[in-house]
Amino acid sequence: MTKKTTFNRIEIVWNYILKIVKKNYRPVLVILGFFLIWELIVRIFNISELVLPSPSCALDHLFNAQPDANYNWGVHIGVTIKEFVLGFLFTAVFGIFIAIIVVWSKTMEHVLMPAFVFINSLPIIALAPIILLWLGYGLKTNILIAFLCGFFPVVINTIAGLESVEDDLLDLVNYLGASKFQLFTKIRIPNALPYIFSGLKICTTMSVVGAIVGEFIASDKGLGYIIINSQYTMDTPPIFSALMVISVAGGGMYMIVSFIEHLIMPWMPLSEKK
Amino acid sequence: MEKNSVVKNIALKLLYIVIFILIWQAIVSIFHIKEFVLPSPFQVLGRLFIPEQAKQYHWILHISATLNVILSAFIVSIVLGILLAILICWSKLFSDIIMPIIVLFNSLPKIAFTPLFLIWFGYGFLPNLLIAFLVAFFPIVLNTCTGLMAVDDDLLDLVNYLGASKWQLFFKIRIPNSLPYIFAGIKISVTMCVMGTIVGEFVAAEKGLGYLLRDAQAFIDMPTMFCCLILLSVIGLSLFELVKFLEKKCMPWNNKEVIND
Repeated sequence: MTKKTTFNRIEIVWNYILKIVKKNYRPVLVILGFFLIWELIVRIFNISELVLPSPSCALDHLFNAQPDANYNWGVHIGVTIKEFVLGFLFTAVFGIFIAIIVVWSKTMEHVLMPAFVFINSLPIIALAPIILLWLGYGLKTNILIAFLCGFFPVVINTIAGLESVEDDLLDLVNYLGASKFQLFTKIRIPNALPYIFSGLKICTTMSVVGAIVGEFIASDKGLGYIIINSQYTMDTPPIFSALMVISVAGGGMYMIVSFIEHLIMPWMPLSEKK
Repeated sequence: MEKNSVVKNIALKLLYIVIFILIWQAIVSIFHIKEFVLPSPFQVLGRLFIPEQAKQYHWILHISATLNVILSAFIVSIVLGILLAILICWSKLFSDIIMPIIVLFNSLPKIAFTPLFLIWFGYGFLPNLLIAFLVAFFPIVLNTCTGLMAVDDDLLDLVNYLGASKWQLFFKIRIPNSLPYIFAGIKISVTMCVMGTIVGEFVAAEKGLGYLLRDAQAFIDMPTMFCCLILLSVIGLSLFELVKFLEKKCMPWNNKEVIND
């Protein structure tokens, strides 16, 4: 039995990879073409690397030490990834947890849901300088900013998912005498999964944005710091290297979330958009 | 009946705000919190409404600069976004080439590009406009595309059978059908647009509320920072409500919400 389930799991993973490859090879070709054209334009028109560095030049700055600006890339990348991943994990855990508590009690929901929707439409990022003054420089400030940026989309999506159970189903389960706990673990939470994952996907981008903006405003480490520092010295190539790393990190997290989504809900079709 | 519920809704929101301000004031006065940690709401509002204090900060200048950026970026991204989406749905070849690039850019944290625009275009209106535009543009394109594509196949068959031209197909079927999606996209991009403008002003501006926020941070001038925060929230919120109002006016028949992925 256990063998069979392991086998099934491998099969699910394999099918997932096949599907991804089948679906994505053309877009990937187009994107590679985009980078190729960019490289060619820079070379043909001999554009100065201070204006627009070619992709190869940006990669060169990432992997080889440069005479003028030598950043310790490993450390900076590590710091940013740490902030962004921790911010994301806190958001995921707290967001889902709080959403469940809120839906558990009807009165809490009536009081808090309008407040959450209200706060979600505010520009949370403007809090960043205030948080900086409260907590000072450093890792925890940026984690908190990343956390706040992603928190409300996750809460609101999870609440919407927990709430969108069919009334008939609720009636049936109540009639069968389910406890409130059972109602949540067997009906509401499985039903909310697609909503939770779409919230988490929004949250991946928002946590990256939060971490980077936090580093823009105040830090002495991280990719956001490299970008701002290179801007002061008008040194464009490291900005592009940092942007590439940030994009890969954000995209990677997004792919991890979609992969987990697929593992947890193999019955859902792959999302149409991506 | 409906008017009543609207009034009730607004009253409820006002009540929340009043309760929030009272709790805030209570916390500050009970725990004797210093002004540079958490200013009381009256100190904050004083920055705006007491003339002697308000004079130092040139609020009108900063507010109009920020509003200018937000509104221009918002309008440009709506117009260009919808146009591009229509082009994408019009031609299969164009869509094959441009769609992957749009999806790629949509998943990038575009805010991180801000310092690059500063290098390219210097300080001021243009880099901020571009950043806000870049952040707000892609949700509108993607949502409009989804809406234009999400037409019932039966309906398409029927219209093709009746011999409709491509123009008619777009103007009578696809575009009206995509309105709810377009508005869902616009609602996302309002918030994004405000966010982009703020970050743009953090990094590359010499006026605007985002700039003032950073400037006040340097002097640990908490009341002014909270003022900026409140003003930015009011701007964001009123734009959001404006879009919701327009949505109701444009599609009085529609009351279903489009859920976004």
